[in-house]
Amino acid sequence: MEDTMTSSQGGESDMDCSDNEYYDEYYYTLNDDIDIEQIDPRKIDPEYFEFNCLFEEQVDRLLNETVETLSNMHQISPSLAKVLLHSHQWNIQEVTRKFKENPTQTLIASRIKPPSPPISLTFSRYINCPVCVTSQSFDKFYSLSCAHMFCKDCWTMHFEVQINQGISTSIACMARECKVLAPEDFVLKHLHRPNMREKYQQFSFQDYVKSHPELKFCPGPNCSIVVHSQEPKAKRTTCSQCKTIFCFRCGCDYHAPTECQVIKKWLTKCADDSETANYISAHTKDCPKCHICIEKNGGCNHMQCYNCKHDFCWMCLGDWKSHGSEYYECSRYRENPNIAHESVHAQAREALKKYLHYYERWENHSKSLKLEEQTLEKLRSRINQKVMSGLGTWIDWQYLFTAANLLAKCRYTLQYTYPYAYYMDGGSRKELFEYQQAQLEAEIENLSWKIERAETTDRGDLENQMDIAEKRRTTLLKDFLDV
Amino acid sequence: MANIAAQRIKREFKEVVKSEEVAKCAIKVELLNDNYTELKGEIAGPPDTPYEGGNFVLEIRVPETYPFNPPKVRFITKIWHPNISSVTGAICLDILKDQWAAAMTLRTVLLSLQALLSAAEPDDPQDAVVARQYKENLEMFQLTARHWTSMYAGGPNVNTDCDSKIKRLVDMGVDDHQALVALSSYNWDIERATEQLFS
Repeated sequence: MEDTMTSSQGGESDMDCSDNEYYDEYYYTLNDDIDIEQIDPRKIDPEYFEFNCLFEEQVDRLLNETVETLSNMHQISPSLAKVLLHSHQWNIQEVTRKFKENPTQTLIASRIKPPSPPISLTFSRYINCPVCVTSQSFDKFYSLSCAHMFCKDCWTMHFEVQINQGISTSIACMARECKVLAPEDFVLKHLHRPNMREKYQQFSFQDYVKSHPELKFCPGPNCSIVVHSQEPKAKRTTCSQCKTIFCFRCGCDYHAPTECQVIKKWLTKCADDSETANYISAHTKDCPKCHICIEKNGGCNHMQCYNCKHDFCWMCLGDWKSHGSEYYECSRYRENPNIAHESVHAQAREALKKYLHYYERWENHSKSLKLEEQTLEKLRSRINQKVMSGLGTWIDWQYLFTAANLLAKCRYTLQYTYPYAYYMDGGSRKELFEYQQAQLEAEIENLSWKIERAETTDRGDLENQMDIAEKRRTTLLKDFLDV
Repeated sequence: MANIAAQRIKREFKEVVKSEEVAKCAIKVELLNDNYTELKGEIAGPPDTPYEGGNFVLEIRVPETYPFNPPKVRFITKIWHPNISSVTGAICLDILKDQWAAAMTLRTVLLSLQALLSAAEPDDPQDAVVARQYKENLEMFQLTARHWTSMYAGGPNVNTDCDSKIKRLVDMGVDDHQALVALSSYNWDIERATEQLFS
């Protein structure tokens, strides 16, 4: 398939539109000093994922190729091949194996043939349709492999009613307790209205994509792209058309290092407990030193009180100085070691405290991400001013946007480390995870601080910080992303 | 579409009226309006079940897309059964949902409902309270279902013990149906039923 738009997504090259826009994808690679070509990107980049973004026609072609292969191999109609493939998640090897073993049983299991051979009815010139109870000449009657005869108008009506209810590939015969499915050619033969034919094809296309493990609809609003990957894993997928970023397996927002089921559990929990956690959503806190009220208007969690110039952490309100060192522990939840002996109430309180600890951090990073988007806007106008007054060219300032994009990516991963940690069992692995998480968090805040104050920071220092932050991120993913 | 629906119902109506089940007084249908969209069905409680001797009235609504879609059926007569809501009369039966086939008729529906009364499916419940009683205490379930049949479906088996318990609650100012529901839900334990009613 030569005309397929291929966009392989490594950590750094997830968008292939590199031109004059500010959102230029981050260009520099992790291992500048190693000859990239000799290294399998799967090994160095834990998020490496190969996929193609396909248009509907391309998906049709892909599906039809499989249908044709099966149809030629076993001398069955393409329509029946589709039913067989659809009932076997498009696994052609599996269908072939079963078909060779026991063709009749395979056709019965896929609801192409009835379990027992049909009893042929008496053939008179006129018969009574059991559905519309009118007597019509024999040539107006049709049946599936089960030989249940119904008049053609009733078949048409049956299909239209089913299609209007969104049913397409699972329309069965009209006879009582008959499970035989109506294959595509049979349905289309009885559908005459163009909009019905179109609806039917649209619904069955959706069914086919949904039953195919290597295909996923892009979850972006009004986007018709289907993503194809031969290695269907919970990896980051970026739609080439609408740019939506999602997890290939579950179609939700990308969530590494957390697994699909865990993030689902976490999001449900957050939605259920939203009232409890609501008090956190306040945007203001008091300076721990001078107690002046401070509103957080940037993404960086390293705060400096505009009044007394005290440096502190927005999350834990501790002195920022201790955050810079290896004792950074703001991200770690310290469980009460004697909790097992405490009362039920105390345990419930502890459980809530633990949840809130993780929720606060999850929510805070999500907010920071949004605030940092605003920072980017401010950056743009600031750079504009500088360029206008002759302080460098746009190209000179490009690195700031690259840095801001990297910051967003790192913070995104950091946000999703919190649900992971919440559901992790205690022990040395959790300790290692929380250590790495703390390291990542510290570097992200350093980067955010530097970007917000970019005027006084030199480019080399910033790029160094970017390198460190991204390394921390990939290290964590390498050790803990398990897909 | 409505044309086929009316045509079919007309024909089916005759089919039921002429059927041997009608002769045995087991099932019955009645038209409620001229355009064949609303009908009243009746089924007799099957023998050797707690519903024996009762007569159960059904509301049948025929959709415009009939027979390509199933008729909408619910019990008007109050009934104690795991697959029928004791509150609304809604029925959980596969042929009235996704297992419907256009070749089925009102007669097959009524006969299937009668079969459902003989063989409940407690693992696919419509009424969770009834289903639990059915699984945990079958005897208690049969006693309760029999008493409901006598109260609402004209069944012959009046249980005097149940009646006196209901009367005691009614004397406290409770509506008799409410009393029956509370007692049925608590295995005829009058203390727990009272507690539930007055809490």
